[in-house]
Amino acid sequence: MISAVQDYEAIKTAVKTAADAHGEPDWFVQRRLAAVDAMQKLALPEVKRYDFHRWPLMDNMDLNFRKSDTSLANDLPQSKGQIRFVQVGQTTVAVNVPTELSKQGVILTDIFSAFRDYSELTQKYFMTKVTKFNENKLTAYQQAFLNSGVFLYVPKGVEIKQPIEVYLIQDSTVKQAMVSHVLIIADEGSQFSFIQHLNTKGETENAAHCMVEVMSQPDSHVHFSSVDELGKNTYSFLHRRAYLSDDARFDWAVGIVNEQNTLGDITSELVGNGSHSESKVIAVTTGKQSNGINNRVVNIGKHTTANISQRGVLLEKSELIFNGIGNIIHGASGANAEQENRVLMMSDQAHGDANPILLIDENDVIAGHAASVGQVDENQMYYLMSRGIDKELAQRLVIRGFLGPVLEEIPLPEVRQEMIDVIERKIEDGQHFKQSNE
Amino acid sequence: MATLEVKDLHVEVKEEKDQTREILKGVNLTMKTGEIHAIMGPNGTGKSTLAQTIMGNSAYHVTQGDILLNGDSILGMPVDERARKGLFLGMQYPAEIKGVTNAEFLRAAINARRPEDDQISVMAFLKELDKNLELLDMSKEMTERYLNEGFSGGEKKRNEILQLLMIKPSFALLDEIDSGLDIDALQVVSKGVNSMRGDDFGSLIITHYQRLLNYIVPDVVHVMMDGQIVKSGDADLAKKLEKEGYAGLRDELGLHVNLVDDNR
Repeated sequence: MISAVQDYEAIKTAVKTAADAHGEPDWFVQRRLAAVDAMQKLALPEVKRYDFHRWPLMDNMDLNFRKSDTSLANDLPQSKGQIRFVQVGQTTVAVNVPTELSKQGVILTDIFSAFRDYSELTQKYFMTKVTKFNENKLTAYQQAFLNSGVFLYVPKGVEIKQPIEVYLIQDSTVKQAMVSHVLIIADEGSQFSFIQHLNTKGETENAAHCMVEVMSQPDSHVHFSSVDELGKNTYSFLHRRAYLSDDARFDWAVGIVNEQNTLGDITSELVGNGSHSESKVIAVTTGKQSNGINNRVVNIGKHTTANISQRGVLLEKSELIFNGIGNIIHGASGANAEQENRVLMMSDQAHGDANPILLIDENDVIAGHAASVGQVDENQMYYLMSRGIDKELAQRLVIRGFLGPVLEEIPLPEVRQEMIDVIERKIEDGQHFKQSNE
Repeated sequence: MATLEVKDLHVEVKEEKDQTREILKGVNLTMKTGEIHAIMGPNGTGKSTLAQTIMGNSAYHVTQGDILLNGDSILGMPVDERARKGLFLGMQYPAEIKGVTNAEFLRAAINARRPEDDQISVMAFLKELDKNLELLDMSKEMTERYLNEGFSGGEKKRNEILQLLMIKPSFALLDEIDSGLDIDALQVVSKGVNSMRGDDFGSLIITHYQRLLNYIVPDVVHVMMDGQIVKSGDADLAKKLEKEGYAGLRDELGLHVNLVDDNR
């Protein structure tokens, strides 16, 4: 393995050169190097009943910074007064934060500016507390090769009514992994919702590592939604985790509608007493793509509530595995954890599974689960078709009904509609593909 | 003028252990637009089966006979095509679909009948919708709710009639549209159906009770027993039945038919 070590030394030298040239503070450069070291010893994360070891997630071991064509963001929706952050590749295109929020101390900026300008917060929370960089090979890769991202800080007691919308556009007009990080710190008693849009421009085969870390301080209320729409040549790893302090409330509403293989890992760690998390995920798979999704809640504090609801739709020859993991730690008395994992098979050549996994080490808890792998509801189909609606549209409407419980969690009507449109477009493509192959 | 003909229709359903049971045993019926027909009969006699079979529910298998719409057999047609040809079934148990609003569903149903380059405009749709909501004494809020989701029994029935008024089929099969309705709701539902009456509309109304027929006066009344139409007449036949019961008619006709409730 001598040559491998030498390779890693060469990688470290290259990473340091690139990071220095990029003007990064020394503390972060040192962390990158520690992460390269750690990568050598760490294994890939484990996803039960799912194999992704052959995906090209870490082919790209150089750190490169380049400007992207900002016109790739021209077609994004924009409304007056929107709180908005747009990044194409590694290039930040727009940051719109109302002056009164800036005055209150709200920070919304790209991650590298944050490392320089808000190093106290970022040093303290970047991959140290919510997620640790040395958990596995992919988390270490994230810290070593990070090349884009965004930082949000909402100070104590600040309540933001309007959602904060962040658009992260992968630039696949060139060969370059997207290694992006969203770091959110919700200080005590703050309240806001955050909507992330992930997209790809360009057709080059690339990996996308999209990490989200949320630090929810006591009494904060945060709602996170994401519309994931990565392209057909993007292999992605979506790692999202929230750390909940006392009496914090944090919810996920995630729509995974990527076109290529996706490994999803969504976690709520309820460390603080009385914290509460609702974790809702939907996924739609088509073609030959494969999605493996862990949705994990960990009850650590007392009287914590954590519910999982996952709904998936499979078309054509795709694969979708939902693992709902409910982990109740010893001492988490009064914990409450319910989960529901359901997949809908639209094709007999697809492979779907919904696995509830309960790991409970405490007696004084309430926990339950429901799982199903089913077909489209014939009764609903008959009803819609009896009104003249053709089979394909009827199927799409029934699917929407199936996904409804998660869709209605998205706070902005426009974003909800965007999610519905993205999902229906994808399903329509899947339906047409099937027809042309029959 | 449109016609709907049912000829010597035999229908069976699958039961447990690959057994089949014949429910319709040679039904004959002809109706034209401009006419309201009522089908009455005791429980379990095949009334709903007839309506479901005409609509094309795949649980019911036609083993003999034919169903013709304007002279053409529709037996080979899928449900949605039958609907677009002018059939409508007001269901006893309408499905609930979360995530799809009533208004969106109604527009989809109307547009399914129109060519792609001539979809109904939002204005025209809303105008028609408002008119029909008023007629049925329904609030606008009902149309923004998810399709039948959390609707009470009465709201579901009204919603079926709202669809009927919006879609404007040639023939409406109304399957126990009166069940579970109080007298006020019954009047509203009847008003809706009556507003459709005219040369371009025909309806086949299935009911247990004569009560509904006080509000929607039929041109023809058929009585079904044991999978066949055993007697047809005018509106007075329904009144006679109400007085004498199905057993009376059976005995008068000398039929050897078990009425479902006989042996209980």
